Amino acid sequence: MVKISINGKPIEVNEGTTIFRAAEQAGVPLPHLCYHAAFVPEGSCRICLIEIEGLPKLELACATVVREGMKIATESASVREARRSVLEFLLAEHPLDCPICDKAGECKLQNYYQDYGLTESVFREAKKKREKKVNIGEKLILDRERCILCTRCVRFLAEVTKTHELGVFERGLRSEISTYNGEFVQNGYSGNLVDLCPVGAITDVEFRFKTRPWFLVKGESICPLCSRGCNIYVDYHPGFPRVPGSAKVYRIRPRKNEAVNGHWLCDSGRYGFVDREFRNRCEKLVWKKGEKEIPLSWDKILMLLAEKIMSLHFMKKTDRIGLVLNTGLTNEELFLIKKIFRDDLNVGKIFFVDPQAGAGDGFLLQAERSPNARGAREVGFDIRSVRPAELAGIKILMIFGQFLTNVHSLADLKLALDRIETKVLVTSRSGGLESLVDFVLPAAVVAEKAGSLTNADGRIQKFRPAVVPCGDIRPEWNILVELAKELKLNSGYYGRFSEAEAVFKELSRERPFFGTPT
Amino acid sequence: MSRSAKILTQFFGMENLFQIEVYLEQGGYQAVKKTLAEWKPEEVLKEVKEASLRGRGGAGFPAGLKWSFVPSKTDKPKYLCVNADEGEPGTFKDRYILSHNPHLLIEGIIIASYAVGIHAAYVYIRGEYEVLAERLEQAARNAYEKGFLGKNILGSGFDLEFFVHLGAGAYICGEETALLESLEGKRGNPRLKPPFPASVGLFQCPTVVNNVETLANVPFILLNGASRFLEQGLSRDGGTRIFSVSGAVNKPGIYELPVGTNLREIIFNQAEGLKSGKKLKAVIPGGMSSPILKADEIDISMDCESLAAAGSMLGSAAIIVIDDETPILEVLKRVAKFYAHESCGQCTPCRLGTSWIEKIVRRMAEGKGERGDVDNLLRLAENIKGRTLCPLGDAAALPVLSIVKKFREELETSLLA
Repeated sequence: MVKISINGKPIEVNEGTTIFRAAEQAGVPLPHLCYHAAFVPEGSCRICLIEIEGLPKLELACATVVREGMKIATESASVREARRSVLEFLLAEHPLDCPICDKAGECKLQNYYQDYGLTESVFREAKKKREKKVNIGEKLILDRERCILCTRCVRFLAEVTKTHELGVFERGLRSEISTYNGEFVQNGYSGNLVDLCPVGAITDVEFRFKTRPWFLVKGESICPLCSRGCNIYVDYHPGFPRVPGSAKVYRIRPRKNEAVNGHWLCDSGRYGFVDREFRNRCEKLVWKKGEKEIPLSWDKILMLLAEKIMSLHFMKKTDRIGLVLNTGLTNEELFLIKKIFRDDLNVGKIFFVDPQAGAGDGFLLQAERSPNARGAREVGFDIRSVRPAELAGIKILMIFGQFLTNVHSLADLKLALDRIETKVLVTSRSGGLESLVDFVLPAAVVAEKAGSLTNADGRIQKFRPAVVPCGDIRPEWNILVELAKELKLNSGYYGRFSEAEAVFKELSRERPFFGTPT
Repeated sequence: MSRSAKILTQFFGMENLFQIEVYLEQGGYQAVKKTLAEWKPEEVLKEVKEASLRGRGGAGFPAGLKWSFVPSKTDKPKYLCVNADEGEPGTFKDRYILSHNPHLLIEGIIIASYAVGIHAAYVYIRGEYEVLAERLEQAARNAYEKGFLGKNILGSGFDLEFFVHLGAGAYICGEETALLESLEGKRGNPRLKPPFPASVGLFQCPTVVNNVETLANVPFILLNGASRFLEQGLSRDGGTRIFSVSGAVNKPGIYELPVGTNLREIIFNQAEGLKSGKKLKAVIPGGMSSPILKADEIDISMDCESLAAAGSMLGSAAIIVIDDETPILEVLKRVAKFYAHESCGQCTPCRLGTSWIEKIVRRMAEGKGERGDVDNLLRLAENIKGRTLCPLGDAAALPVLSIVKKFREELETSLLA
């Protein structure tokens, strides 16, 4: 350990720690533009300069390692003046198009100017004109006027993806970021450049001019698009100005977790998430009697369902009940299904239909495109698929999700389902099956519920609701608990599950694998 | 040895000295023969340290000390990189060594490599010196043929491979870490220091980076001893310097003179004073990045410490003489334009500071200078100074600061009321 002091406060840090990290540990955040925790320090933006007692010049916090007895000042007059000057230099050639810049509101340059700049401009010269809309990737647009040459993008592609699509060309004020021979940044992780860019130089085609960051609320969740379970922020519009229907989710961004996804997110997740999770939502609770839709409350619907299930149960015909699940359900939900249907009702016909596997990329993206297959196995399920013929003889079928339509044609499904008396679809999105069933129970997506998922490495990750669902939507765990209560099989047991956490406790008691969530 | 003895330019007048036969006739490669036969590497290092040989590239760092920073015990190969990227405006000394006496440099390289335990030496030559690179390559081929380079040099068991690398025309590649990057085939951006090249240099291996003239002094030191070397120059700054004198003098050119020669002596006696009818206005004493001296400041000893004490630097010992008919704004414009053009653009203060200064000065030169511009120049230069990633920031800021401070009145006359 090395003893140092930061702004007069003593602190001990590990040997080899940089001043930047030591300051972080001391709770003193330092401004930074080129520095990023995941990269080798570049030391080029010069805004993290700090003062070390006894040294004539200001030193870089990002690249200077602490030494015993170092006395560091991070807010002295000369430090603040150096920061002000760096900002003055950067802003001299920076366009003042903040009003139409997507980064405004979450722009480091803007924020630091509030903290250290706030001086009158003395720049009387003409700013250098540069290209403002250069396509450098399928989803990426580069604005060379806004670029401050921190080279985070270049270094991400050199150090993380090792694909080297971007470089700095020319020198001095003429320096510019560019692709080589106009070839796109295309490596499955291109979206990270948008998050990395401290200013609005690299913007996202999907987000450009859609909203302003200050309208967005960031919720924390887990990306459910593959079994890696990347930690994410879900940025959504909470409803002002009024957005009809679901709260509008605009984008997801990586949430740092060194053990899972580092600082990154793959493009499949980033650009697939909103479409798969928040478009074409099923929001309405439906009971169809013949061609007629009858409006009913959740209580009534669940009561009706419970009656149907119990009548089979009393006739000892629960082998006539079938379930089609998917491994997008949380550990808690899968556990409840196991308790209710397999343990209490002795249902054997439990199948899984998941999104089709893709190719893994050896980095974050897994071949398994469902978030909780490992969890389903650990809860105690055999993951096996279903052929429509296997549904013969079933009287009550509960289908979770729309994935059946990925593997079977609607015509084949209709043939099979038409023979089943009661068909219940629990789904977050519409996708064809709702025309073939009697009950549609609108369910929450991962980002709207609490629970936990077990990723491919067996890591159990808990999460809270990031987004408030709209319409009749309820999380599946809640639907299942309420159904169980209506079934009156073991009211004392299910009555305790007023929240997902309580279900998890019971799960971890019963299955020791779940004893150590993170 | 007399005070005016030449160490480097002694045989410069001789025709075809660059040919190995001619060089050998003049006693060439005696230093290498003697060193490899009689000296241990550590003895060579000690001798060079004792000679107080300071780097001739600009920073004036003691060469022997620099060599001793390279770890003697390491699993990695060590490298010598010779900085022949002579780009400091006003400087044209290394090109004379390369064109007239390339074997002297090769000798120096062999001895330095032997002292440090290096088996591969790279000479990084500026792009404009293409002809000199060819000459050096020819000289190296001949040295290989005669057994001075390659495996088991002169039967000593010491191996040294020699490579010549031509730069692509960037001033910044004369900065030692940018030079290494460029040599590695990358964009010539300076690296963060520490680590210094002595521990992490070329290809991440311990590396010595020396200027051409520095190494060209080494054969003399080994052949004649540090004490003979110290007969010239100062005890803390030994030997001679090749002064590149340019500007408004009657005899511009290179002058090899002892370190510590008076600047007035160089300008008025060696270079025979200013062209007729002109008076001395100012002198840039150590290449364009060194702070300017006014006419009344030239009674000064030309050595690293004296010039530092006077607020300037000896740098590459390139003396630019400015006469009284040259507007100082014209000088400032050249300075500002050069550094704005040559900034690599990597770090904020240098990239944006040099270009901003250049824009202001250009506007002033167009007769559109405003009140406040001069103060702004000072402020901007102060904000570059000491805050950049590499020494180029200081190189750009210091001359601006000195010119503006010393010639403020003249500059202000060019401003709009």
